[in-house]
Amino acid sequence: MIISKKVEFSASHVCRSTELSEEENIRTYGAAANPLGHGHNYVVEVAVTGEPDPVTGMILDLKRLKEILEEKVLSVYDHRLLNLEVEPFDRIVPTVENIAIDIWNRLERQIDPTGRTRLYSVRVHETNELYVEYRGEE
Amino acid sequence: MTVRLARRYEFSASHRLHSPALTDDENRALYGKCNNPHGHGHNYEVELMVRGSVDAVTGRAIDLAALDRLAEEQILAPFRWRNLNEEVPAFRSEVPTTENLAAEVDRRLRAIWNDRLGPLGPRLERVSIQETERNICQLSDYA
Repeated sequence: MIISKKVEFSASHVCRSTELSEEENIRTYGAAANPLGHGHNYVVEVAVTGEPDPVTGMILDLKRLKEILEEKVLSVYDHRLLNLEVEPFDRIVPTVENIAIDIWNRLERQIDPTGRTRLYSVRVHETNELYVEYRGEE
Repeated sequence: MTVRLARRYEFSASHRLHSPALTDDENRALYGKCNNPHGHGHNYEVELMVRGSVDAVTGRAIDLAALDRLAEEQILAPFRWRNLNEEVPAFRSEVPTTENLAAEVDRRLRAIWNDRLGPLGPRLERVSIQETERNICQLSDYA
């Protein structure tokens, strides 16, 4: 079974790589390459897989999941300029692909230390027209 | 690292669900209001899900501008503000149900996918068409 929880954060970013020329940056990222940055209301859907506990009837305590998301993701990402304030975006471009992978990396080992449940996917919606889902190494 | 990326597009079009292989009574019973001889329309939403690996330099799994151009040329321009039965060749012989529409979108994209996005590039994994909020059809290459 899979259960998912949705949270939101707002942040700004600049999609631009120092390894690309000005023309390549514009071609790759379009308006998102604006060096002064822009922002989004990101929606993060975190899905966890496992079997319901026979006593509690729950795969995972969703209150606990909310606390983990608050501590590991929202407190780090919310109302930040990702390129300057959130690792690893001092080194890699904060595309929605890389944001989904980074959130996975921050959460993977936090979900359930007993291993009864595990992280299934992290889906990050950047706009209503674009989202990325990461399911770990496949 | 492999991710799935989903891009959504919208178009508005009209259609009529009517099969020449059925009688008028059977068509009315099967398709209900959608069989209205004058047709009707929807704001369709198309979601394309792509699976690809994230480029280490750009951080992108697909050339989004190329995907947008492909969608505009193959789906949005030919379908937008059209009567699907009359103006899209596939629907002169097929009923433009959400299922057949998803299959037609899939065919159109796959026909030139490798030319535009490369044979080793990102793969089209799923086409979803939302006809209304209560009617969604998904066509995936794995199930």
